[in-house]
Amino acid sequence: MPREIITLQLGQCGNQVGSVFWQRLCAEHGINQQGILEEWATNGGDRKDVFFYQADDELYVPRSILIDLEPRVINNILTSPYSRLYNPENIFVSKDGGGAGNNWAQGYVAGERIYEEVMDMIEREAESSDSLEAFVAVHSIAGGTGSGLGSFILERLNDRFPKKIIQTYSVFPNTQEGDVVVQPYNSMLTLKRLVNHADSVVVLDNSALARIAADRLHVQTPSFDQTNQLVSTVMAASTQTLRYPSYMNNDLVGMLASLIPTPRCHFLMASYTPFSSGEIDKAKTIRRTTVLDVMRRLLQPKNRMALTVSSPASCYISNLNIIMGDVDPGDIHQALLRIRDRNLATFVPWGPASLQVASARKSPYVTTSHKVSGLMLANHTSIASLFRRMLDQYDKLRKRNAFMEMYKKEKMFEDSLEEFDNARATCDDLMQEYKACESPDYINYHDPAH
Amino acid sequence: MASSIPHIESLVYACVPLARTDESLKNELVAHCQDILKSHIGHTTEMNYSQLVDVIKRRLLQLSPNGASASKFSNLVMRLVDQPVLTKKQEAVQFLSTLSTLNTHQSASITMPGLPRPSSGRPVAPTTHVEPSAGDWETTLSNAARLAEFRAQRGVALLNESLLVRDTLYLMQGISGKYVRFAISQASEKTLVFTSDSKAAISPSTQALVHRLAELGYLYSRIDAFVRERENAPGVGMIEQSLCHYLQTQLTEYYRLIAVLETQLSSTRSSTNRIPDISKEETGMSLRRLDVWVNEWRLRMRMMSVCVEGARDSHGGALVNLIHSYTDNGDPFVRKFTHELLEEVSRPFFATLHKWLFSGELYDPFEEFFVTADSSLGHIPYVHPSSLPGGINQLSGDPNSGLFNQDGEDISGLHESGQKLWETKYRFRKDMLPFCMDSDWVATREKMSNTSGSLSYGDIAGLEKSIDAAYQLASHRLFEVFIDKFKLLDHLSALKNFLLLGHGDFADQLMETLAPSLTRPANTLYRHNLTANLETAIRSSNAQRDSVDVLRRLDARILEYSHGEIGWDVFTLEYKVNAPIDTVLDHEAMEKYLKLFKHLWQMKRIQRALDKGWMRVTGDARSFIHLPGQYPYLSSCKSAELCHAELEPEWHKIRIVMTEMIHFIRQLEAYCRLEVIECSWKVLIDFLNKKEGDLDALIDAHRTYLDRTIKKVHLWHSKPGKEEVLLRQLLEIFGHILQFREATVRTIYESVSTQLTARQDNFYNYCLSRSALKDQAMDAERGVYTGAPQDAGAESEDALSGVLDRVREFGAAFSDRVQTLVHHLQVHPDLDCRFLGIRLSFSDYYRVKKEQQAGQKS
Repeated sequence: MPREIITLQLGQCGNQVGSVFWQRLCAEHGINQQGILEEWATNGGDRKDVFFYQADDELYVPRSILIDLEPRVINNILTSPYSRLYNPENIFVSKDGGGAGNNWAQGYVAGERIYEEVMDMIEREAESSDSLEAFVAVHSIAGGTGSGLGSFILERLNDRFPKKIIQTYSVFPNTQEGDVVVQPYNSMLTLKRLVNHADSVVVLDNSALARIAADRLHVQTPSFDQTNQLVSTVMAASTQTLRYPSYMNNDLVGMLASLIPTPRCHFLMASYTPFSSGEIDKAKTIRRTTVLDVMRRLLQPKNRMALTVSSPASCYISNLNIIMGDVDPGDIHQALLRIRDRNLATFVPWGPASLQVASARKSPYVTTSHKVSGLMLANHTSIASLFRRMLDQYDKLRKRNAFMEMYKKEKMFEDSLEEFDNARATCDDLMQEYKACESPDYINYHDPAH
Repeated sequence: MASSIPHIESLVYACVPLARTDESLKNELVAHCQDILKSHIGHTTEMNYSQLVDVIKRRLLQLSPNGASASKFSNLVMRLVDQPVLTKKQEAVQFLSTLSTLNTHQSASITMPGLPRPSSGRPVAPTTHVEPSAGDWETTLSNAARLAEFRAQRGVALLNESLLVRDTLYLMQGISGKYVRFAISQASEKTLVFTSDSKAAISPSTQALVHRLAELGYLYSRIDAFVRERENAPGVGMIEQSLCHYLQTQLTEYYRLIAVLETQLSSTRSSTNRIPDISKEETGMSLRRLDVWVNEWRLRMRMMSVCVEGARDSHGGALVNLIHSYTDNGDPFVRKFTHELLEEVSRPFFATLHKWLFSGELYDPFEEFFVTADSSLGHIPYVHPSSLPGGINQLSGDPNSGLFNQDGEDISGLHESGQKLWETKYRFRKDMLPFCMDSDWVATREKMSNTSGSLSYGDIAGLEKSIDAAYQLASHRLFEVFIDKFKLLDHLSALKNFLLLGHGDFADQLMETLAPSLTRPANTLYRHNLTANLETAIRSSNAQRDSVDVLRRLDARILEYSHGEIGWDVFTLEYKVNAPIDTVLDHEAMEKYLKLFKHLWQMKRIQRALDKGWMRVTGDARSFIHLPGQYPYLSSCKSAELCHAELEPEWHKIRIVMTEMIHFIRQLEAYCRLEVIECSWKVLIDFLNKKEGDLDALIDAHRTYLDRTIKKVHLWHSKPGKEEVLLRQLLEIFGHILQFREATVRTIYESVSTQLTARQDNFYNYCLSRSALKDQAMDAERGVYTGAPQDAGAESEDALSGVLDRVREFGAAFSDRVQTLVHHLQVHPDLDCRFLGIRLSFSDYYRVKKEQQAGQKS
């Protein structure tokens, strides 16, 4: 009875990232491109059944559903060497194939149209799981399909599976140089669903990804592949403890419970270090990887995959480090003491919080040049600045009522644009709550007396 | 030579005036002098004059240390050298010197036995410069004459000493003589009875002398009796057998002595018959002489008698010990004798030891050395009597290098280590040999046998060395056997994975399937149910990859329960170990594992409860917190939302408290895993990987591992009386967490009581029922009948405040306890426990809180 996780790859971005993610998982579990377990991969101490199931012919099949409104990316996947890995029944490509045209409304409305078919796939997967634990959606919030259709599916999943965890890996747009003019609208509308209908959102900020790529990989404009590799590395690492079980953190619930104290504040930032060339093409090599070094680097804002501005009051609500590799337990102990002594991390004042460290095994089949690598999932109040930025951009457009016509074309916005304001209010609330987290009074946050 | 006869005659006349009248005496003296001259006496050592003078001077100094006679002598010698009269000065002096030697060593018949003295009853000294005055002799003689006279008056004749000597020789063999007998009356105490015949009186001084000599006879008969008795008795131990053997040899020596003495006696007697008048007192054998002859034997006999005495009470190794205790004696004779004796007596002991050490066989047919069963020590089937460790210990002589004193252990631990060695060794033989008969073991045995040829008492250092070597070899071999053959490491990691919950997914799975039944009373649990769940958990987790041997040892069990206990209190996993690995994983160790399991299992339970609780209060919130008017298709949403909005502040507080709890339990778990179990495990593994050391070290290392783990997991405080204070606090905290959860989110089907009234006993359910009521009310407004309207106003309010009170109470109690615990941990003597305090208050939350509370109070 594994705690299965069903992955939903939504839209262009979602499918691209997903495709890299599955390649990576296959490599880590010793599964080849056809889904056949390699002969040498018999005793890795891993749990493949969290993300894969075995078909009748013993082939490993990802618990993944690929959805897109345009065929290009999915066709690419289907012509790639990994084409036979996926269950063809789990692939949905819109028949008209026109995509969502970077329009949230179009994607959302398309959702209603294809609801039955997609829900069939999801339910089939869910029913074939013994003890489904979570849905993981991978999407971008700027475009049309990932954001619009994604929003729709989040809402429905929420109703259909109220007791299952819904986690998303959401790629946030690069606010400086977005290639879609209406991305502030799309993001705002999606963000509202992420706030209300997801349990946990791992924020992958495109601007931060670009910066990390420039910093770590020495490329000014990283290729899509490289960015996708960054994201899939984070996804793989954040599920490491689920796939390589040890004493703790073997289930997503436990991990999220330790990260997310209150329902809205579930936007997690991720850091990963060091990126090796095995994971990312042309990564700069880092020589020294001690536990302390890794943990110290994880705490550095420049390694976070979300571009945020910290104020002096910014602090960690929670922090989970997953240290992978053959680690001496004493090293972790020492590193924790050092970090505390040097005050490298500040925490919320209204409750006890600490740097949690989970040590996880590495896949024995993937060789890396470092002894130790680490992932940090953190709930940090500075993420409010990201929302602030999104709000500002949204407001800039909204003030001029720019590009509203394309939304008004769809039925749900025909009569009113109230939904936009609702979404903005939700986002604003969220930002306020994160701000409030920095104060000891957060305990009484919802109390009208305060 | 004949030419010298006139000279001799004149010399004789000069010296013994009596000879001038008595022709026969003169002839005899002359003949004697000729004998002397012909004999080699005086010619044996050809010394020059000055050397001779020196020798004499030295002798004179010895005789009279004041040096007066020595200086007088040198004066005389000087004058002698100047004298022209004497030509053979050196010979003359030497002659005189020889004569004086004879004179001073009255009793030195041994130096020239069989050579009768010069016939004169008086000493032949007075020829030289120191001439005793005739008056002195007269008085001495007259004293003796007076005594003889007295005796003659009383008609008492002294018994001839030679007769007494013969009797004494009998006595020395334990046989009564003619004149002196052993009293027969008392069997135990033998006394001498002297004949009170007036014709053969024995003077008291002689009686005392005879008494002295007769002691030998008494001792002899005792020893002889002992040897005889043992010869015939069945079941005499090997030590005693060899003791008897030694005694017998000694007695044979003694017989030889007696025989020699008897020959002496008879030869002198025959000569006495020839010349009865002069040899009366000058026989080769007198009582005193006899005394000297047997003096050494008396001591020897005494020693043997003591051994015989000891052998009556003690047995086997203890007897060896007893004898050994006499080696600490200042008397070199006693020491030497004991040493000889021990050399002989301890031979069987060392033979057994050798067998035991080098072939692992325990051959002790008379139960002399090693084994007695001791039922009081159930798990150690055999312990040895005091004989072994004490014996070996004492035998080794030097207490600073005790035999089994490995690695410079403290001497006080010697007995213990001897015992431990013994246990190990014994088990080694019992348990291992059937398994070990492989080529490796044969090789090891050969190696061990090569380390020493044979063991003996005389070579204690060699014994020590070879025991050490053998022990190390065997023990190291044992270590390897444990690791390679019995896969000790597999069992250790299995224990870590299962009982210490290292297989997290297995533990989660087991808990998931067992949880519903464990909340029920203990008496409703069935073992087959538990084992079935265990099977499921193994099959559906990574544990299925473990070896069959490991999995078959795993068992789920219900401990003994008392009334009112529920499944959580009594459930335990068990890992069965059998021989031989139970040498390392002994009963005690397994109990500690179970204790650890109970604690870790409880922590896991709390964590699981909190995770479930989090899913409800935080995770599920996504279905509650929507803004109104969003979902026309979700009918209950609106009311649920409304209900929630009212109570949102309460929910928020509950979440904050729950966050604190989750933080607490996860930090605690991480501490137990990382700081305690993994760190201790690493030390153990490092030790095992080194592959150095022996079984003792292995057992010690494991024990250390386990003790360290249990102490730190239980937050054991080293201060007496406070050992379990923190553990109790911890358990109290666990209790509060469970109560809190009960009061907030525990669902009805999980609850022990399934009464309907329980529907509102926790906050979550309260909210559910409230929203159901509101739905009903709204439906009624819309004209849809969904059930009989219930009045839930005041009652519901009461219920709410009751529920909230409890929630707050438990939350506050929890927080306070944690704060206290953190406070205690921060001053904990153990660094790791102190680190738990740091972990729990990593952001200094509890310190700040405490300061604030203190600030508020003041």
